[in-house]
Amino acid sequence: MTLAFDLAALRTPLLRFAQLQLRNASVAEDVVSETLLAILEKPDSFQGRSSLRTYATGILKFKIIDVLRRQGRELCIETGDDESVDDAIDALFAADGHYREPPAAWQQPDSALQQAQFMAALQSCIERLPARQARVFMMREWLDHDIDDICSELGITANNCGVMLYRARMLLRECLGQGWQAGRG
Amino acid sequence: MKLRLSCREASRLLSERLDTSLLAGDRARLRLHVAICEACRGVDQQFDVIRRAMRKLSDDPPDAPPPEPPAR
Repeated sequence: MTLAFDLAALRTPLLRFAQLQLRNASVAEDVVSETLLAILEKPDSFQGRSSLRTYATGILKFKIIDVLRRQGRELCIETGDDESVDDAIDALFAADGHYREPPAAWQQPDSALQQAQFMAALQSCIERLPARQARVFMMREWLDHDIDDICSELGITANNCGVMLYRARMLLRECLGQGWQAGRG
Repeated sequence: MKLRLSCREASRLLSERLDTSLLAGDRARLRLHVAICEACRGVDQQFDVIRRAMRKLSDDPPDAPPPEPPAR
């Protein structure tokens, strides 16, 4: 019974990952439930290797990849405010292509606590990305798909994919710079 | 071909470099720009921090994040 208890505790973080990737609450709920059930049905498959969290995340990823392969192009994402992304990136640069405000180099997170705070801030910043950019970013950086796979699963061009990744990364930089960095000494 | 990149163009190439090999001309121009531009060196560093953090999040998901530090 302790496995069931441990799995119940994982529900929230797994749901967070699923929502970061899918940006669709009901589909995210479904894949998380399937993941927990899959582990409960075959408790011997876990056998204490790595951590339960890592193991469960691995299964979650497979199930998410299945969803994206089957439904990637049609999967309804919660509407984001895509137009404001262009404005946000434009605002960083002057007409001649220089930065309006020089972006400062970040201080490296020193302690384990600071690293944990950084990871929490990063997840919050991903949550705030517009849905389309978040989906592509997570497929690239969390699922580790290459560009061709992302393009074929979502039915977009390589250039389109590159633009979305660029926007996601620039927005994340700005978000982390304002939040996590600003709060440090 | 224009020799000098703007920071905006450089930021786009820095992102692209994370996903694919750049064309030789772009690679050379980017290397030159980053060598002389502190702002873009900073952005390059930040992209790298984000990528490494995502790798950790992906391979070795951390435990529940700590509560927010108290506001100053």
